[in-house]
Amino acid sequence: MLTDARVLELVRAERRDEAIALLLPAFRRKVFGLAYSFLRDREAAEDVTQDVFIKVWRALPGFDGRASLSTWIYAIARNASLSALRARRPQSSLSDPEVMDAVEALDPAPSADAIVDRAALLRLVDQLPTKQRQVIMLFYMEEQSHEGVANMLAMPVGTVKTLLHRARARMSAAAGK
Amino acid sequence: MSTPDSELDKQLQALFGGLDTGADFDARLVARLRAESQIDATERAMRARRQERARYREALLELQSWRRSMLHLLTLDTVGIALLLVVAVVTAWPHLSRDVMDISRQYGPYIVTLLGILIAAVPLLGMWAEQTRRPIQLL
Repeated sequence: MLTDARVLELVRAERRDEAIALLLPAFRRKVFGLAYSFLRDREAAEDVTQDVFIKVWRALPGFDGRASLSTWIYAIARNASLSALRARRPQSSLSDPEVMDAVEALDPAPSADAIVDRAALLRLVDQLPTKQRQVIMLFYMEEQSHEGVANMLAMPVGTVKTLLHRARARMSAAAGK
Repeated sequence: MSTPDSELDKQLQALFGGLDTGADFDARLVARLRAESQIDATERAMRARRQERARYREALLELQSWRRSMLHLLTLDTVGIALLLVVAVVTAWPHLSRDVMDISRQYGPYIVTLLGILIAAVPLLGMWAEQTRRPIQLL
């Protein structure tokens, strides 16, 4: 089982590879989701996720356990995503054909209606302000945990709830038009 | 009956719930980590070699400077003291009584050891004096 103490123990025993093998299944999807919420590009988010784990592997000997492991990893992921975002121009959109293809690839045989619904939904999410969009994406990816999203975005739980409420209201209003 | 909000929840859940990396993600990462690990090991070995070389140079310099100062002290102080001792012994020799000769024969090794310690102490004292006398630092 993954605990901060277990990872610290492995790092102190100079068994970084084993520590990463523990961290990877626990954080891969979360880090990818976080990078994706910033970059809105599947390929770029995967590259950033790879870089994040390489950075984590390099920095593990310096991890002192003062912050929790998840907080530390998410901070690295946020910084890496922001750097990638700054380096990349112009910005892509969730409703770009490439992104649509990636999302459709999640469902092996979507119906025509489902594709239209997804495209419309992605456009709605895409039109949200950045923070609201990130919260919506991570909330539904993170199996609806306010605390999880708050930890990933380094925000108070109350702020996550407010952003989520506003985003939902905005999307419902836009969908009702 | 589902509310519009719960319908939106379901749709969003379906859209983002399955978001994950590609199938080859772990394999690519493991390959990159392996490469990083090799670079890391090579760098560590090079760093260790550099540190060892620097330590050796430092030790050699220290030894050379200690040898120089010892030689310096030996040539000046020790030769002077040894000369004084020889003069003292030569001067005192004819005046020494038989008893003194017997005592010196009996305690000869102790006397020689004591003299040896005294002679060895002179350069050490000189070094200590050298170390405590630091030049005045200019601003």
